[in-house]
Amino acid sequence: MEEHASPWRIAVNTTAVAILIFLVLPSLIVVPISFGDSNEIVFPPKGFSLILFERFFSEPGWVDTAWVSFRVAVWTTMIAVCLGVPAAYALARGRFPGKRFLGIFLLSPIMIPHVVIALSLFVYYVQINLNHGELRLVCAHVVATLPFIIVTSHAGMKNIDPALEQAATIMGAGKMTVLFRVTIPLLIPSIISGALFAFLISFDEVIISWFVSKAESTTLPVKMYSSIQWETSPVLASISTMLTGLSVLIALVVAMIQKKSK
Amino acid sequence: MTPELREQARIAAFAAPATIFMLAMFAVPLFAVFWQSITTNSGDEFSLAAYAKILSTPIFAKVAYTTFEISIGATIFAFVLAYPIAYFLAKQPSRRRAFFMILILVPFWTSSLVKSFAFTIILGHAGVINDILGMFGLGPVKMLYNRFGVMVGMSHFLVPFMVFPIMANLIGQPPELAKAAAIMGANKLNVFLRVTFPLSLPGVVAGALLVFILCLGFYLVPALLGSRHDMMMSNLVDFYAREVLDWSMASAIAVFLTVAAIIAASLISMVKGGGSILSEEAR
Repeated sequence: MEEHASPWRIAVNTTAVAILIFLVLPSLIVVPISFGDSNEIVFPPKGFSLILFERFFSEPGWVDTAWVSFRVAVWTTMIAVCLGVPAAYALARGRFPGKRFLGIFLLSPIMIPHVVIALSLFVYYVQINLNHGELRLVCAHVVATLPFIIVTSHAGMKNIDPALEQAATIMGAGKMTVLFRVTIPLLIPSIISGALFAFLISFDEVIISWFVSKAESTTLPVKMYSSIQWETSPVLASISTMLTGLSVLIALVVAMIQKKSK
Repeated sequence: MTPELREQARIAAFAAPATIFMLAMFAVPLFAVFWQSITTNSGDEFSLAAYAKILSTPIFAKVAYTTFEISIGATIFAFVLAYPIAYFLAKQPSRRRAFFMILILVPFWTSSLVKSFAFTIILGHAGVINDILGMFGLGPVKMLYNRFGVMVGMSHFLVPFMVFPIMANLIGQPPELAKAAAIMGANKLNVFLRVTFPLSLPGVVAGALLVFILCLGFYLVPALLGSRHDMMMSNLVDFYAREVLDWSMASAIAVFLTVAAIIAASLISMVKGGGSILSEEAR
């Protein structure tokens, strides 16, 4: 630390900062474009207006698909939390045979390419005749997000001092009381961060939704995907700004929760 | 039943709802894909025609090769971009590191559609970079809808995944080692090349394998930033399932892709420090 201006340090810092700028540039460049004054995508933007945001709310299709994405993400998050948190409890506290295998099985959707999950449900939904558009999406998104809920709650559970649970037991609390009055309250920060990330993953999901959604229940990312491929509507800039804002907001909330719980 | 066994059964029961759901909505559908790949498209007759077709169609071999080539290239690029950041972050005091981490987490959590859309603006024919080149009387250079665009988009996506394991390794290195080398007369470059870097290799390998697995499944970036020649395996599955409507062929390719991902994932669990995300007690 003593020699601040050594050539080595200057070289490392310059390279790292340049790469960090490359990393954040795509997330940020959409913001000025979305406030541009024209109906085409130009950088640097000419003038300032909210016309692209107005077009998002007035053109048919965008708001509807955003609502579908929102509803699907909310249901996905709730179901994934209800399934994932108890599973994480079993994996963290159990010593039953087959536990290792169960953990690998429940987390394996992380390692399987999304297109495989997409195709498998695309084929399977036809076989079981599941035609409800949003239910098709919710089931698929729960598969993709459940591992993340399990990982975050499992990590949270490993951080809880077992002495706290033992103390409650010694004081005469039953097993269910310990679970609901000690373990789960201590776990709330991990559950909230996991849930927020599950929401974001579901809200941004493209490939799986592209395969399993039906025409009447298209999600926002699927509509954006076809728009980028075919016409590249400038409205995409305003949506991108809002989506980036949502990601930054969620990441900040999670960072605050984690800081507080430390 | 002993009390201990009953207690374990009680705890295991908490995993039952998730397990039943994943059996019904993940395991059985995966099996359905496998089943589809070994039967004919119309009936339920057993047939290995899809696999025979895979081996005989030049497009599969070409796409498999492209996928491999792009995956290796993107993994190397991601490493080259990630290492300086990881090294830089590991040297920062923890408060400042938290600030710089935001610069990695923002792109990490930005929707990949938004990132791909942004790259069409940055790299396009009338895009930001060509505008700047134009000021110097250069260009325009074609950077979009070709291999270059795919490489930029993919490495950009992958850098954070590579930074985390390398940074964790670098932070975990005892500072005395580098100090000892410096006292013995090594300059900064030599300390890095002979001490710090070799010690960080397990982090590099863990990161590279993870990134390589992610590469195998890429879909959006080649579809939006590449040309027909940059089609990867996921795009081929989409092509057969949604355009040709040959489900057996799509399924056979998906089986192939799954096997490749499982092999890569088991390699990860063999690397020290890259094991299962849940295996704290195994350490």
